[in-house]
Amino acid sequence: MTRIARVLTELARNLRRYPGTALGSLLSLLLLFLLFDLFWIASVTSDRFYRDLLSEIRMEVFLDEGVADSSITGLSRSIMSLEEVSAADYVSKESARDELARLVGIDLLVGYDSANPLPRSFVLTIEPMYLNTQDMATLETELARLTGSGEIQYSRHWLEKAETTRSLILRIGLALGALIILTTLISSANNIRLMARTKAVGFRQMLLLGAGRLFIAFPFVLEGFLLAGLSAAAGWALIFYGRGKVVFTQFELVFPAGDEVVIYCLIIALLGSLSGYLGVRKLLK
Amino acid sequence: MDKPPLVELIDVAVRNDRGGMVFRDLNFVLPAERSAVITGAAGAGKTLLAELLIGLRFAESGTVRLFDRELRPAKNRLIRRVRRQIGGVGGQFGLAPTLTVSENITLPMVIAGERKKVQRERLRKMLAEFSLLKQAGELPGSLTRVENSLVQFARASVANQPLMIIDEPSAGLDPKTFLRVFEFLVRVSVSGRSMVILVSETPGQKMPNTDYYRISDGALV
Repeated sequence: MTRIARVLTELARNLRRYPGTALGSLLSLLLLFLLFDLFWIASVTSDRFYRDLLSEIRMEVFLDEGVADSSITGLSRSIMSLEEVSAADYVSKESARDELARLVGIDLLVGYDSANPLPRSFVLTIEPMYLNTQDMATLETELARLTGSGEIQYSRHWLEKAETTRSLILRIGLALGALIILTTLISSANNIRLMARTKAVGFRQMLLLGAGRLFIAFPFVLEGFLLAGLSAAAGWALIFYGRGKVVFTQFELVFPAGDEVVIYCLIIALLGSLSGYLGVRKLLK
Repeated sequence: MDKPPLVELIDVAVRNDRGGMVFRDLNFVLPAERSAVITGAAGAGKTLLAELLIGLRFAESGTVRLFDRELRPAKNRLIRRVRRQIGGVGGQFGLAPTLTVSENITLPMVIAGERKKVQRERLRKMLAEFSLLKQAGELPGSLTRVENSLVQFARASVANQPLMIIDEPSAGLDPKTFLRVFEFLVRVSVSGRSMVILVSETPGQKMPNTDYYRISDGALV
């Protein structure tokens, strides 16, 4: 028997001798990963939702009445030179009046043609990477310094709330991830320890014959890899199967990309390997 | 050029677990292609000596050298290499209960990474030599004490390990089987391989290429 054959034989023997332990481990991990996968989908979906809303945020810079129309082009150039700004649309007094009429349904300024009180403004579209409270506040300060700029408005409070919510979701995700990593390690290590304990005498004999620790531990490392990796993959398989069966009409669920799922399953499998080693480590002294 | 000795113990001092001094300035040299039979009463330190030779225990002072390499704690890789050249029977050595007889016998070769074909040939030879063909697929739990001992002998010589450490070779053997084992030991002693045999009483029959020692007051005489 070659070393590889021995490792595979031992692995098959472990699974055959303790099918209940292996299945129990597989199912408990599957349930755990399934919960995490669902949270992941919820998190990605809500993140997409927020991003879509964020992309609609505009910053409006109102101009002082004293700014001459001839200065508008220069001001527009100064605004566009700011790296946070991707587009600056000028709103003249007439356009503002039209917009107001569109919003309320009637032209409230009939008779005030020569003295339109509505201010001129620039409506700024912001680069997506600067759509956060800190960068928006910096941009606001920079814009305020420009000669001719007056009041600056944007959905500051909504942005703060959106950021808080996203940060909360991220923190819950991290906590859940840490909890799952810990549970995977402890649960797998304990199951493997149970399986390995009956082999302690054999391990001692192998050590006396000059076997290395890795040689003895490898079947268990592989078992941890397989059980954890299979559980993680089975969780996603179930979700992708269910994806075709359930349709949401109000909103669209966003799933992580395929390569992210593969990397996730590999990381979980590697964690399983680690727990496999931890499970037998004490028996190899 | 002369081959270096397989085993060299120089001024070795070891205490037992209760702190009592078992060996004091123990000196022992086992030249290549020679064997040693070491007798000693119960508690004299025979098992402790075997543990020193396989790196399970370490000397408090003095030097333990096997195959020209000094055994020290924390030299795990070296200890593993040394152990691969030793075949053990009795004492600390036993069988892995979850492996079949065949798997137990071939284990030293699997650990050494021996080719599959060579493993099969040597296994067949050992099973035939120790009349274990019928038990090849059985687990150690279903073997008799005699069979268990024979499997250990087969495992200790399957990889042509240059050194065998045998703790009480007659333990558990009936006179007829012991005679077979003794014949096997004689064959080993003239084959160029070496043995350290630890026994309570001096055997009646002598073996060729073998020196006889006795543990007395923590020293070999």
